[in-house]
Amino acid sequence: MNAEYANIFIRCAVDVFQKEVGVHLTRKDLVKKSAPVPTQPISIIVGITGFIRGQVVYAIDSNFAYSVAHAMLPNRLPVDIKKVVNSAISEIANIITGQASIALAGGSGKIDLTPPVVLMASDLTIDFVDMPTISLSLISEIGVLEINIALADEEKAGQHA
Amino acid sequence: MHSGLIVDDAMIMRMRLREILAKEFNILGEASNGQEAIELYPQYMPDFVTLDITMPLVSGIQALQALLSNFPAARVVIVSAVGQKQIVFEALSLGAKDFIVKPFEPERVLKAVKRLFTA
Repeated sequence: MNAEYANIFIRCAVDVFQKEVGVHLTRKDLVKKSAPVPTQPISIIVGITGFIRGQVVYAIDSNFAYSVAHAMLPNRLPVDIKKVVNSAISEIANIITGQASIALAGGSGKIDLTPPVVLMASDLTIDFVDMPTISLSLISEIGVLEINIALADEEKAGQHA
Repeated sequence: MHSGLIVDDAMIMRMRLREILAKEFNILGEASNGQEAIELYPQYMPDFVTLDITMPLVSGIQALQALLSNFPAARVVIVSAVGQKQIVFEALSLGAKDFIVKPFEPERVLKAVKRLFTA
C-alpha cells in the first residue's frame, strides 16, 4: 500500500478532531497487518470504491465514543444516548474518510464511500477484506483512535478480493 | 419564514443542522436517506433542502436527480464530507445551488441557505 495514504489519514483525523471534537490527536504507533481487523471494542467501517478500493476501519473504546458525542452535542442531553453516540462516531468516521477521499482523489479521480457501519466487539464475526493494512494509533486526552487502512489502487485491490 | 427539509443519514448531523437553521427558517422535517427525501418532498413542498451525499438506500446524488426531475424549482444545498472536485462538479451540474463540505462552520450553512432567497 502507498505509504502516503497513512499521512493523509493522520492529517485529516487530526484536523477533523480539532474542529469537531476540540481534541488534539498525536500519532503514537504505525504497524503493518494483513487485514484491517480492529483491536478495540467499537469499530466503524467505511468501504471505499473507485480507482482506489478497500476498507478503512476506525476503532475506539466506549469512553472515547461518549466523549465524541458529548463534544458534538455540547448543549443537550440526548434522549437516546446510544443512538446519538453511534451517530456521532459514524459521522466523525465519515468526515475523516470524506476529507481523506478529497486528497486521495486529487483533481481528476473519483472515489465513493459507503455509509459507515458501527460494530461492537461482540459483532465481530464480519469478514474484513484480506488486504495489506497500515494500522495507526493516535492518542489524545480522551483515549486512543485506531485507524486501520486497507486500500489499494483498483488493479491491486482486485488481486486481494 | 422560508421552510426546509434536512436530509442526512447521521442523526447527530440532522440535529446540528436543525439547531443552526431553525433560528431563521421553519424546518418542516428530516429524512435519513435519499428515498425518504424523495417521498417527503412532495408532502412538505419545502422552500429548500439540505442534502447529504453518502447515505444508504438512495444516495444524495440519486435523490438530487430525482427531486430536480420532478420538481425543477427545488432549491437544494449539498452538505457532505465527500467534497471531491468531480463530485462537487457533478452535483452543481445536476442543479444543486451550493455545496458545503463537512466539517462546516454554522455561519457557512446559514449564509448558503439565505443566499437561495436573495439571488
